[in-house]
Amino acid sequence: MKEFRRRPVRTGITVFGVAVAIATLASLLAFERGYRRGLVSELDRLGAHILVVPKGRPFDAASIALHGANWPCYLRESYLREVRSVPDVATAAPALMQATPLEDGRSMVVVGITGDYLKLKTGWTLEGHFPASGLDVLVGSDVARRRGWRLGDTVEIPGMPGSRTVSGLLAPTGGADDGFVFVPLEEAQRILGRDRVLTHILVRLKDPEALDGAVGRLRGCNAGMDMNIVPLTHLFRTIQAMIRSTRGWLGAVAFMALLAAMTGVSNSILMVLSERTREVGVLRAIGASPGDVFRLFWLETLLTCVLGGALGLFAAMVASRGVESWLRSHMPFAPTDPLVRMDPLILCACLVGTVLMGSLAGLLPAWRASHIPP
Amino acid sequence: MRNKPDTEPHPILIQAEGLSKVYRRGSETVAALHGVTFEIRRGEFVAITGPSGSGKTTLLNLLGAMDVPTAGTLILDGFDVASLTESGRTQLRRHRVGFVFQHFGLVPTLTVEENVALPAFFARRNDARQVSELLETVGLGHRRNYYPSELSGGEMQRAAIARALVNRPPLWPADEPTGNLDMQTGLTVLGLFRRLNADGLTVLVVTHNDVIASAANRRLDLRDGRLMGPDTGPTSMPRVPAGPG
Repeated sequence: MKEFRRRPVRTGITVFGVAVAIATLASLLAFERGYRRGLVSELDRLGAHILVVPKGRPFDAASIALHGANWPCYLRESYLREVRSVPDVATAAPALMQATPLEDGRSMVVVGITGDYLKLKTGWTLEGHFPASGLDVLVGSDVARRRGWRLGDTVEIPGMPGSRTVSGLLAPTGGADDGFVFVPLEEAQRILGRDRVLTHILVRLKDPEALDGAVGRLRGCNAGMDMNIVPLTHLFRTIQAMIRSTRGWLGAVAFMALLAAMTGVSNSILMVLSERTREVGVLRAIGASPGDVFRLFWLETLLTCVLGGALGLFAAMVASRGVESWLRSHMPFAPTDPLVRMDPLILCACLVGTVLMGSLAGLLPAWRASHIPP
Repeated sequence: MRNKPDTEPHPILIQAEGLSKVYRRGSETVAALHGVTFEIRRGEFVAITGPSGSGKTTLLNLLGAMDVPTAGTLILDGFDVASLTESGRTQLRRHRVGFVFQHFGLVPTLTVEENVALPAFFARRNDARQVSELLETVGLGHRRNYYPSELSGGEMQRAAIARALVNRPPLWPADEPTGNLDMQTGLTVLGLFRRLNADGLTVLVVTHNDVIASAANRRLDLRDGRLMGPDTGPTSMPRVPAGPG
């Protein structure tokens, strides 16, 4: 470690290069893991296999349905009968969604649903009961917590006239449902002025393996021309494929960064060696074997890399929130769960990568040093 | 020719016979030593003298097992240097040679104490007491935690001398050990050499300095890679100050 003090600026730059490379690698791995898990969780929470939305862009529609926003167009309620008539369909849950902007920049998302919704959301835990009358509301855990609403409270919901009673509280799901207020579908259609229309239909199949056939039959029904049938597993698979191709590029960038850092470290230690040739000769003269000299330079390189790697991992952990919000603002579809998931396995993998990089980077300088004669 | 040291130390520490060294510089060959023959007994203080380019440093490098002769035989403490592997020569340098350099050769990022302990570290020994004693012997006990940049030239050379002694080697070659020191400091270092020689160490000094050369009890005079005339016998010792410690 004392050798680091000899050329602090050069050592600092070398360590910084390693830190950047390792931080990139760690962030990339953490994003890959977080995104994949997020998509799987999102699909589980949704409880549906197919999303039926108005004609338009399926990715945008899926994002709106999953995260809550205003819809630009609607489905006729009559399509629901046609969807239900497809033999593979076990449950078709209609929904009408509207988001009312709030003063704090957030939105109050109201979703009109029927009892069918509960058949999809098998993971939901309710305190109280599902809305029985038009004036009852079921409140997501985040909304209840933020507004201090409790079971039985009479509340006013932005975007909806009059007072309502909190008939049910939804236990935290970890998903977008926590931020929604659920009301009976007919009441939502009435107060939102959207008579006999829906924003989307969530469909659960009797057999998920029959997805392709069911999608074909839904597209082939009379209303098929006016609906977008979005198979969610396919959608998520497509998103994953897109992410994977992006990840490939990012992986290549991370690999190049690692390679550049490794070359930088190697070059820096070679420069050190050229300045310390006489010193190495003295060490050989006073009894250091070629192996001793090899170990000295190899360990110096390894320590440089490990120091850089540790700093890089620290930086990646500190910056993970910033990276998360940047990714969310730039991605067309982002799951509710954390996108950047830094876990011990990733930290270990990066440390192993650091040690491997240091070991390889140190080989050439150490080999050269060990061949300096006394 | 012996390849292993005897159990009892042989009175002859160095036996050189027909020692030659030729260097190659591209297509050119330079003969630095031509068939040099001599013996050095244990406990001698020998000065190797001669003008620049006469082969003094080449001879010292051979005697310090840092290089191998092109021709001839060199037996160092019972080992035939030319027949040893790189590893064998490393062992020889580690345990039987304590080299002192003109430029001191201290590692700038290590303290005096750490520098002195380096040969012991390479020999996989940790003898802190021995290091302390040596530092006291050379008068640097109070500077043990100083870095080389914080020492004077004489102090650096004394640290280098302590380092050369730490593995208790029988041979102690020194290349112009006072070359970078002023006269007074050089004499102090010379006093230290003589005291250590009096304790039984075999000292071998390459020098241009007549005072140092005349302090030795034998002189090997080199001219153009050849040993000139018979060795000078023991000389009358000049008055030198006692070494520190």
